[in-house]
Amino acid sequence: MIQLDSVILGDNQFFGINHMSQEKGQELAERFSDLDKIYKAYHTAYELGIHAFMLNSNDRAAEICNYFRTHKSDFPEMVLYPSLPYPHKYANLVAEKGIAATIQDVLSGQSALDLLGMAGKSLGLLTGDLTKLMELLVDVEMKMFKGLDFKAIYLQNVITDLLLGLEFKEIFIQYSKHIEKKYSATPGFLTMNVPRLSAFLQECGITNATICGSVNKSGYLMSPNVATYETYFIGPQPYPITAMSIFASGAIAPSEAVDYVKAQGISSIVFGASTRAHMLESMQFVQGHQ
Amino acid sequence: MTPATSGAIRDLASEPKKTAKAAIIGVGRMGLTHLSIFGGHPFFKITAAADGASLITHGISKYRKDIKLFNNYEEMLKNEELDAVVIATPPHLHAPMIEAALQQGLSIFVEKPFTLDLGQARKFALQSEAQPNAFHQVGYVCRYTDVYIRLKEILQSELIGRIISFNAEMNGCTVISKGNESGWRGERNTGGGCLNEFGSHAVDMIVNLFGRPSQVVGSSLQSIYSTKVEDLVRSTFIYTSGIVGSLYANWSDPSYRKPVLKVDILGDKGRIMADFYGLKIYMNHADSSYKKGWNTIHLPDLTEPVPFYVRGNEFTRELYEFANGVLDPAGANHCSFADGAATQEVIDMIFADASGE
Repeated sequence: MIQLDSVILGDNQFFGINHMSQEKGQELAERFSDLDKIYKAYHTAYELGIHAFMLNSNDRAAEICNYFRTHKSDFPEMVLYPSLPYPHKYANLVAEKGIAATIQDVLSGQSALDLLGMAGKSLGLLTGDLTKLMELLVDVEMKMFKGLDFKAIYLQNVITDLLLGLEFKEIFIQYSKHIEKKYSATPGFLTMNVPRLSAFLQECGITNATICGSVNKSGYLMSPNVATYETYFIGPQPYPITAMSIFASGAIAPSEAVDYVKAQGISSIVFGASTRAHMLESMQFVQGHQ
Repeated sequence: MTPATSGAIRDLASEPKKTAKAAIIGVGRMGLTHLSIFGGHPFFKITAAADGASLITHGISKYRKDIKLFNNYEEMLKNEELDAVVIATPPHLHAPMIEAALQQGLSIFVEKPFTLDLGQARKFALQSEAQPNAFHQVGYVCRYTDVYIRLKEILQSELIGRIISFNAEMNGCTVISKGNESGWRGERNTGGGCLNEFGSHAVDMIVNLFGRPSQVVGSSLQSIYSTKVEDLVRSTFIYTSGIVGSLYANWSDPSYRKPVLKVDILGDKGRIMADFYGLKIYMNHADSSYKKGWNTIHLPDLTEPVPFYVRGNEFTRELYEFANGVLDPAGANHCSFADGAATQEVIDMIFADASGE
């Protein structure tokens, strides 16, 4: 079973994603518009002892991965937790072009077919097989992480939860197999529905997986409700958990947030911090409450 | 026409009395989301779907043997025993589908915009009223967001006094390059363009919060990247009550990461600014709940979790309201056919004003 890092630095703060306010998001986007500022933040985090980073496969992540590859000696023990794909890229493309054209675009735009040795095969034939298509899309997104160390590869919550509701079991099964086989990593799932996803993965017969979901006492982004999560955490858990949104976007004080997560028996946290002071504060809380 | 009935918008799952059977017409981006949200619903089952052959229908036929697939909706309505239909096709196809479902007395959830023809919209609203045993809803999903539920409650409580003016803005980066107009979103007569497809959310929110204006003036439609439709809409709304408000909708702004609806309201006792992140309330004087000056309510403090989260609480909330309504047609309906027709009327007023009619 995967040994999750206890503290994982997320990446929302670097890409202008903030659930507290649009202004805060804009401020962060501006502050980190220069990639060097992001690299500096990663150096700071690493020096503070945060060696695990969750990184979403958005356009800028490719450049960040390049940096990590060329500066490997600065991050000798670094572990990445990639999350795929960047949902808004797909959402916008689908809104503009439709689902089929988007897939064609993503696959052909990155010469994925050539790279994956699929040249010559008709895309139409490939897209008839959803599991094969899913593998291709994963491989396209994973290209940027090549040569870096990663433990788990997460499916973004928008995709996980959509597929969970659709009850397309085979996609979950094949995704898990593909991640284990091709990338020797643990299949990961981000979700806003931890208890339901866990039950579903068990129904799929998936034994090796890890789940990352919101855990906070206000129940923010926790469906169906806090009580169901708390009951779930009391019982035997088939999948190791990483807690996200622990501060509920700032609605909960750090010490209280960490205490709550620990009380649920969870020992891995992903959090966003953009300054040394915040990283240090979060680290101290996590360590101080171990 | 009766406006939206009031009721607890967050009352998501009433006691199941029986299981409702429903079909989805059109499984594109929204239809797929709806299918997902209904997955695992305790008493509302999707048993059939109608759409042309696609990647998605292929997936449904392969992985969801419990859903019967049809090439066309007419055949499906003829052959399947259903309580309800969910219509999620491009807007110009809605009308005949609604018509057929109304004829069968089915409950109907139809995506926004309701139809592209005001006459039809009004006719459907009247027919809906004549069918008290069915539940008819239009999918203006912003009405079901945590922030806008609270905003409406606050306005109804008259916290900021008499409303004087408002600005409603909808911004996003849906169309940010030339040459991508092949789909229905690039043509007015298929329901495309910024006002129909995107800005209608802001128009509907205005109608939801302030009602229908008596006059629409100064409307303009601008194209940025699209050649056949507008990408940016501006308009001014005048009310007999004295309220004056403005609408700005732009689906071609790359500075927005995702679509955002913002409403800024001035009253004679204060001001409220709302977006998807929360509410900022300025109080001219303190009251028992709010201090004088600015009061901020962040989204995490407004949010009520839903039974199953797919793309945001609001999508689940609106569809669970529909599921409840199918079994209990007298239940709360926060976006009835009458509401859809009212919004349609204002959209038409903007088009008419912009074209100088």
